[in-house]
Amino acid sequence: MKNKKIITVVVGLLVAALAMFGVWRTFAPKAAGGYKQVVVHVIDDAGADTSYAEKTDAEYLSEVMDELAEKFDFSYEGATSEYGLFIDTINGVKADYDKDGAYWAIYVNDEYGQYGADSQPVADGDVYKFVYEKY
Amino acid sequence: MTAVLEVSKHMLDALPNIELVSFLIIVYTMCFGVRKTLATIYLYVLAECMLFGFGLWSVSYLYVWDVLVLLVVLFKKSESALFFACISGAFGLMFGALCAIVTLVIGGWSMAFTWWVAGIPYDLVHCFGNFFICLLLYTPVRRGLDQIRRLSHL
Repeated sequence: MKNKKIITVVVGLLVAALAMFGVWRTFAPKAAGGYKQVVVHVIDDAGADTSYAEKTDAEYLSEVMDELAEKFDFSYEGATSEYGLFIDTINGVKADYDKDGAYWAIYVNDEYGQYGADSQPVADGDVYKFVYEKY
Repeated sequence: MTAVLEVSKHMLDALPNIELVSFLIIVYTMCFGVRKTLATIYLYVLAECMLFGFGLWSVSYLYVWDVLVLLVVLFKKSESALFFACISGAFGLMFGALCAIVTLVIGGWSMAFTWWVAGIPYDLVHCFGNFFICLLLYTPVRRGLDQIRRLSHL
């Protein structure tokens, strides 16, 4: 009887894990293949706007940023954690959250981004903005 | 007890969502009881805030570990390592959803759901990591802590 209970719990856990996997496959953002034209703006702590136009087949925004770093005067630094890529420096401007609540916000087509740069899918015609903001 | 939580967490920093904290909270609750475990948890949260600063994660840390303690208390009659491994795994699986409650309050259902879905792969890793760690370590660590408790009259 006790063994039956434990087996039920183990099976229940496996079913729950599979269900969550199914939810992720259904609702997670899907990256598009093929060439896409995108624009990336960087608005720094002084409000200066630097923009980059790029034709790319990258699937995610961080890959676009890597391409920009190779081709243009663009750079970024960040750390990867359990929550994904967290960018703290763009073009040499560091946003120190612990010091003054500053961070680099991501906007996608003028809407606040829902994903980190490493999980933000790239679509043709997208306009991305990295904006230096304070909490 | 808090120091062990801190050290164990940072030992495995390089492996996202593979952690000993959940397992240790389970055995602490079983060996030392709810009060001592909750005190340990809140000292751990304080230490984490002092190391990393306060953020949205700090708010979720105030309640998320309490859910694990509650689950253990509900099933404390069981002495099965496999059963507690399932508890630990289930906690890992729901960790993202529990933390998304903060996002729900701040940004509403849409933001919370998006945030939760994006973290599901990490929750799955968390689930399997927690399950196997607890399955392997529960019996020997529980035995050791019970001995410590008897010898130190805690």
